[in-house]
Amino acid sequence: MDTDSYGLKKFGKRFLVLFTAASPYLLWAQAPETGPAIAPAAPAAAPSASGGGGADKPTSTSPGLVPSLDPASGIVSWNGQTWNINDNRLFNARFEKYLNAPEETTQADLEYQGILRTILHKLSPTQITPANMDEAFRLLPKAAAFDSDARLCDSIADSVYSVWMARKELQRLAKANDSLREEQKAAEWNAGMASELPTTGRSAPKNATAASEWAKDRALKRDTRMAPYTTRIAEIRALIVANQAKRELSQVQTKIEFQALCVQLFFQRRFQHVLIATRFYRGVFGDGDTLLRVSDDARSLFGKTTGMPPTVSTLDTMANEVIRDCRESVQAYEFLLGKDELKSATERLAEGFAPGEYMPEFRTLPREKKRAALKFTQASNQLLSALDVKDYTLAEKLVHELELTARDFDSSKPMAAIQTAKTVAGMHLAKAKNAAVSGDRETLESELKEATAIWPRNPALAEVSGVIFKQADVQLEALDLLDELLGRKEYRRIYDDRVRFIAAAALYPERQEQLQKVLDAMTTIEGTIARALEIEKRGDAAGAWETVEHVYLQYPNDNKLNELRANLTTEASEFVKTLRAAERLEKEEQPGSSLAWYLKAQSMYPGSEFAQKGIERQADKILP
Amino acid sequence: MPRRASSPLHFGWWIAALLLVGGTAGGGYTLFRTVNDPFRTSAVLDTQIYLENANSLRGNVYRVNGTVRNFIKGTNTGRLFSVEVDDMAKSILPIVVPATLNQINIQRGQQFAIRFEVDENGILRVQELRKI
Repeated sequence: MDTDSYGLKKFGKRFLVLFTAASPYLLWAQAPETGPAIAPAAPAAAPSASGGGGADKPTSTSPGLVPSLDPASGIVSWNGQTWNINDNRLFNARFEKYLNAPEETTQADLEYQGILRTILHKLSPTQITPANMDEAFRLLPKAAAFDSDARLCDSIADSVYSVWMARKELQRLAKANDSLREEQKAAEWNAGMASELPTTGRSAPKNATAASEWAKDRALKRDTRMAPYTTRIAEIRALIVANQAKRELSQVQTKIEFQALCVQLFFQRRFQHVLIATRFYRGVFGDGDTLLRVSDDARSLFGKTTGMPPTVSTLDTMANEVIRDCRESVQAYEFLLGKDELKSATERLAEGFAPGEYMPEFRTLPREKKRAALKFTQASNQLLSALDVKDYTLAEKLVHELELTARDFDSSKPMAAIQTAKTVAGMHLAKAKNAAVSGDRETLESELKEATAIWPRNPALAEVSGVIFKQADVQLEALDLLDELLGRKEYRRIYDDRVRFIAAAALYPERQEQLQKVLDAMTTIEGTIARALEIEKRGDAAGAWETVEHVYLQYPNDNKLNELRANLTTEASEFVKTLRAAERLEKEEQPGSSLAWYLKAQSMYPGSEFAQKGIERQADKILP
Repeated sequence: MPRRASSPLHFGWWIAALLLVGGTAGGGYTLFRTVNDPFRTSAVLDTQIYLENANSLRGNVYRVNGTVRNFIKGTNTGRLFSVEVDDMAKSILPIVVPATLNQINIQRGQQFAIRFEVDENGILRVQELRKI
């Protein structure tokens, strides 16, 4: 699935780099997790894509320290981690939460927005006056009273108040310096007066040496008179310089604090508050100094993104741009939604949501309108998960659903991935089946493993595995039963289920040989039974019995043969009884009587082999 | 007056005369048979006993009349035949005709009066036989 398109493409790359660079809030929202956990599910969102991002990736300036976003791929890099901005679980969760949230159109929400608009109006360049600024300042606590403000207006008010307090301190220092200057003047006058020694009437001696001594004495006296004043003057000068330094420092400090607040609000994506803060800034600092005093890294980022040194105006213009862009995103969403182009609509909304989460256009979007995007987002995320876990059945179902709900959904990539995986898995399964049939267990296992790796939840896999394993079970079961039946000489059961046993013993030559003997025997038995029944039909019960009896002596355990033999014994009871008597007497070594019985049997069934052989045996005994 | 008819011979006399004639004829026939049976001094073999167990008959001499059914086997010591006895059961008995009686031509279907001994193995060994 082309998840890259979820990226914030509409924004200028330079802005996005700045926006994501130092935003603590966004970093929270998109905080990288552990490596594997943030690995994008879909191939299109692979982290490696970041490597091929923009040619002048911002990360090159401070790799690993400053987060950067490649808008072409939607990949954010920071601290050695890369992730897709739209595939991040937290972002998705936050976006879905927003889509499920009701619109903020209550009376309180409307009132809050009204206050913010009033503040902005009063601070606008055409309206700003000290009175309007005071009025806007008074509205700040009112706005801060609303939950949705998160007390940010209070922070702005605090900063403005701090500036005003600092300004009073500056005035106090200015007055102190004025007093010090007055004192300095007095000291200088006094020093001047002290430098003029009173005339004592004595003039300088004419002697050169004495005159020199006299001059030295007067200079010493003058210095002594001036010393207190010069010392004080030096002290006053030092105090004035110190006070001037204090003023400068205080002014810079208040500016930095205010600028920090502006930057913080910007990175918190509270762009309305950014505008309020920057307009207050211009109002309270009328010296025209709007240069942002930020760290070298941040200055470098601002410089690279805007092409100019960072200023309060930069923040102001960028905030205005974001607000406009958010408005356009919502308008585009509503338009695309009306055209049933859910994919593009959701992408536009997601793009705008990242920076404009707190914009009134987003907060007031009706929940019913957001639900469509929610459904698409959920289905898209589910599709990514399905592809990630290789559940291609579910993935295909989701693709079809998405095609129905979103006219602009491009199913070619996911379907290509799904069909390729299915085809390859099917080929491995076919090989596994062939290996199973040919008894190639090694190939069977490897092919099954391959098929499972490609499509773990393939329904056919379970089916084929079931068949194969069932086949193996059935084979083992059949072989066990064959051994058991062979042991009990129950050839009839083997013969009745011969197809199963032939298949089961196909790979076992020893069992095959045993089975062949059984089947030969059963063929004989079945043939005998058929012949006996035919003879019986002709009314020759003794002949039928004798036919069966021959085979019975070889296979006495066959039930069917036994049953037929029992029936024929009843039908040819006299003949059987005669033969049995002959056999009994033969065993009793009475060849004469035995022969008499055999002769009787032969008279009853002249074709009797039993009788004939009995006669021959007894004749040999009688006449050796 | 009609003349009274003379009375016929009483019917009972006729019956008695017939019985007398029949009895005389039967007795004469039986006497003729007995006198003409060459082995009348030997007992007739009870074939049922022989078939059940010949041991009890060993050493005894018996006689039967029967028809030759088959030649079974012949050796230097004798010939083995099967004979169907002229009794109610029409039993078939094997008899051994010793080599001493080889001069007697025995063929299938011929009727013989046979005297034999039951030997120690229960085999019927012919001592004498005559065509009848």
